[in-house]
Amino acid sequence: MPLLRLTSGSFGQLRTFATSAALGKRIKTFAVYRWNPDEPDKKPYTQNYEVDLDDCAPMVLDALLKIKNEMDPTLTFRRSCREGVCGSCAMNIDGVNTLACISHIDKNTSKPSKIYPLPHMYVVKDLVPDLSNFYRQYQSIEPWLQREKDAVKGKETQLLQDVEDRAKLDGLYECVLCACCSTSCPSYWWNGDKYLGPAVLMQAYRWIIDSRDDATEKRLSKLKDTYSVYRCHTIMNCTRTCPKGLNPGRAIAQIKTLLSGIVKKPPAILDPAGLEKQAAQN
Amino acid sequence: MALSMFLRAPVCTNQAFTKHIMRLATYTAATNSPLVVRAIPNTVQLKSVTAKAETMPITSSVRSFRTSAVRMSDEKPHDHAKLWVIEKATSALLVPLIPLGLLMPNKIIDSVLAILITAHSFWGLEAIAVDYVRASIFGSVIPKIAIGLVYLLSIATLGGLFYIISHDVGLANTVRQFWAVRSQGQNA
Repeated sequence: MPLLRLTSGSFGQLRTFATSAALGKRIKTFAVYRWNPDEPDKKPYTQNYEVDLDDCAPMVLDALLKIKNEMDPTLTFRRSCREGVCGSCAMNIDGVNTLACISHIDKNTSKPSKIYPLPHMYVVKDLVPDLSNFYRQYQSIEPWLQREKDAVKGKETQLLQDVEDRAKLDGLYECVLCACCSTSCPSYWWNGDKYLGPAVLMQAYRWIIDSRDDATEKRLSKLKDTYSVYRCHTIMNCTRTCPKGLNPGRAIAQIKTLLSGIVKKPPAILDPAGLEKQAAQN
Repeated sequence: MALSMFLRAPVCTNQAFTKHIMRLATYTAATNSPLVVRAIPNTVQLKSVTAKAETMPITSSVRSFRTSAVRMSDEKPHDHAKLWVIEKATSALLVPLIPLGLLMPNKIIDSVLAILITAHSFWGLEAIAVDYVRASIFGSVIPKIAIGLVYLLSIATLGGLFYIISHDVGLANTVRQFWAVRSQGQNA
């Protein structure tokens, strides 16, 4: 144990040497969008904060937390998991919609990092956008499993799904609904009230293609109007910006082919109600 | 190419109707009273939803909330799927037809090309008008004018192209003449 303490001590010293002022402090400027609803007369502005990168963890969210903790407690932003699984800290960092918690701080200290809320959204305060329309649209696609026959309480049976059918959901279910893709889409900027946007459409596709879901026809017929899907002009901003590396553009294209009737949803490889039928026989 | 093919759901929809529907949607969400719903026409969907809540399936707790507020904003559900197929087929068809028409100048291919090019550009321009000149910014009149201009421009284009085909040398030959002019200029 003493040896361990000794080594850790020397490593600690090494670290201090490596990051000491002798090398020159690395001061990074962050230009952060500010707007306070309590001061409605004041126009939105950007405020500069200087952060010593040697005294700060590597991600943009770390810098924001440092600013909030040590410099300006009024700075407002959403954050939760700090590891890219909750989607709370979605914001526009140096012109790209991404999650602050999984994007590294740009080490180039000559230029300030610009941090804005998600583009073309109503701002609640500072970096917090109003996502109510986005969530309402998500609600409208009824994002839950729908069976022709509802299970009776107390007599639920497991639904079957082949491995191959399950694989179709990969790349769809991982979406954390951070709204980075939707707010990077010009069509969503211009017609966000009627066009559902890439994030919601990818979730719509996730339920359309699920082999256990019986409501495919209903789901598709709700999307066939001029606005819900067809405002997508396939410019692929969504796929390019997705911080989780997903491909909403492909999902929308699949919806379009399914809507056209040229491609049909393949039947389930395993009957989802297989166990239920077996139980009924016995 | 019937005219109906060109027609999509109008850009500026009847706002009064939309508001009425929105009011109904939000009202029933607040009260959740089936009696009120049945008293008002045009609410087949709402009825079925509230009727469903009476039976007690396992997912009823999830399903009972209103989810249609967004959908209600699109008042006339218009099937755009077939038009999408036609749009894509037109685009694909233009790829072989344009070089073919230039190789073998004749009136039939010229006429088909004139229609396809006009349709293709019409859908493109219409999308631009619908995307950018939208009612939420420009009010209810200007978007209609914009769509009207797109129609006018497309009709003028089609008319002009057919004038060249019927009274002049045809589309392919006109394009060929452009190249001829250039080579003569270089010779002189």
